[in-house]
Amino acid sequence: MDVIWDALGDAFNLLFSGDHETFEIIGLSLRISLTATVIAFALGLPLGMLLAFGRFRGRRLALATVHTGMGMPPVVVGLIVTVMLWRSGPLGGLDMLYTPSAMIVAQAAIGAPLVAGISAAALQQIDPDFRVQMQALGASRLRSLWAVAVEARLPLLAAVMAGFGAAVSEVGAAMMVGGNIAGETRVLTTAAVLETSKGNLALAVALGLILLLLAFMVNLVLTLAQQRGRP
Amino acid sequence: MSSPPALLELRGIVVDAGGRSILDVPQLALPAERTTAVLGANGAGKTTLLRVAGALIRQTAGEVMLDGAPATPTAIRRVSAAVLQRPLLRRASVRDNAETGLRFHRVPRAEARRRAGEWLERLGVAHLATSPAHTLSAGEAQRVSLARALALSPRLLLLDEPFSNLDAPTRGELLVDLGEALDATGAAALLVTHDRHEAAALADRMAILHAGDLRQEGPTAEVWGHPSDPDCARILGYDTVLETDVARRILGNGVAHPLALRSEDCAAAPAGIQMDGSSLTIDAELRRLIPLGSTTRVIAELDGRRLLATAPAPAPDWLANLQPGDPIAVRLERARARPVGAPFPAADEPALS
Repeated sequence: MDVIWDALGDAFNLLFSGDHETFEIIGLSLRISLTATVIAFALGLPLGMLLAFGRFRGRRLALATVHTGMGMPPVVVGLIVTVMLWRSGPLGGLDMLYTPSAMIVAQAAIGAPLVAGISAAALQQIDPDFRVQMQALGASRLRSLWAVAVEARLPLLAAVMAGFGAAVSEVGAAMMVGGNIAGETRVLTTAAVLETSKGNLALAVALGLILLLLAFMVNLVLTLAQQRGRP
Repeated sequence: MSSPPALLELRGIVVDAGGRSILDVPQLALPAERTTAVLGANGAGKTTLLRVAGALIRQTAGEVMLDGAPATPTAIRRVSAAVLQRPLLRRASVRDNAETGLRFHRVPRAEARRRAGEWLERLGVAHLATSPAHTLSAGEAQRVSLARALALSPRLLLLDEPFSNLDAPTRGELLVDLGEALDATGAAALLVTHDRHEAAALADRMAILHAGDLRQEGPTAEVWGHPSDPDCARILGYDTVLETDVARRILGNGVAHPLALRSEDCAAAPAGIQMDGSSLTIDAELRRLIPLGSTTRVIAELDGRRLLATAPAPAPDWLANLQPGDPIAVRLERARARPVGAPFPAADEPALS
């Protein structure tokens, strides 16, 4: 039991002592995961719309691929991104490996299929005639798509939450493409892994608790936006 | 009554789906400031026709003309507004819903609020303005849907069975309010419906669609009494159509067309009683009686063809005592037996006058 009490104490101390390194890790975690979520949403929503409303050959195959991507092991994504960004890889010239940008790419790649898959399902739930009705009131094609997305805002925000959850909790890809370099690419998950391997269980649990708290706060904001106007 | 020039005209419209034609309309003009009803059974292609007219789906062939010139879908949508069968409201307040179309047309918010509010008021749902749309009853929701379309002051209002999901009293009230609204706006309207009474109540002109084909079109009074073929007759509520040879035996050799009868015009009577000349008596055999509450539906047979008539409810003793196969007379005013496919005005109906 002691390890849990120690962890709680450590977490409290880390949060309220203003420990510079801890706040750097928290800040980096948030920056990387939120950016990745925004990118995942920006890519995933249009893809979800295309899969939901598009009429093209191979649509169902594409949807099945996206659904597979929703369960893709982060380690595999990390591996693919690493290979792509490797010095001799196709994108090696970008010199991005072991930078926060590489971690954003990996986390966005993990989140985008989640956002796309949930979005496609959410948008298909809306009555197909809804879009026709919006066009019949003067909405352009694009405007009518937007109206459908606004109508599906509850599940779409759920898609954002799923995307953020996958990004912020992910550790394998972050380790591989980021390298867990102190002060540069160390985030809460990779720091927790490191501390565990060093035997600093209390510190690792503290980092885990902070991660949970962070995820809760972000999701609280999203949930409040989602459930606006309801008790 | 001469019709104003056509606001919208469908020319040579064909719509194919799944390798077969689901709509074929050689020509249909929607006059400005008039209501045109398209009457047809379920699956006749009414919704497809309405959506082609509103540029909401693309036709396989043919052209939609606006003010006499070929029009782009955008141009058509700019002047039209539609009310679909189910009121598809946004997850928002009634007021926001009523403003939706105006906002799409970039009407400033204050003006949109004023115009939407005006129509919510006229359609009797202004008191619900701040309610969430999903709390409305079907009738209220359809009123909001109508207000949303009318607030746009469209030149063409497209109405796709707007009453079909409503109970009878709600439908009756909304029918009256919609009629007044259409008169007030001066918009042209296209109403597609399976209900001939709605069509007759609202429309100046009537067209009949059967299995995707436009079969008949003209002023409501003309179409109502002059079905152009047996399918049109059935859609217009003539539930008995007697072929020409049968009609001749009843009315004499002057008859050149099949006869269409409405069961509500046909009264069941005891067989063998002579009547004065203004009535037409058809001798038939009784098959069944069906009590319908306020009336009794009498199913008779004439040369193997069904003939429907009406009797009071409960059925009078003379009728209740008849057995299937017993002779029965069906009586109606001569003018109520309508020739099918006769030219209008019908010059060749001497036997009916």
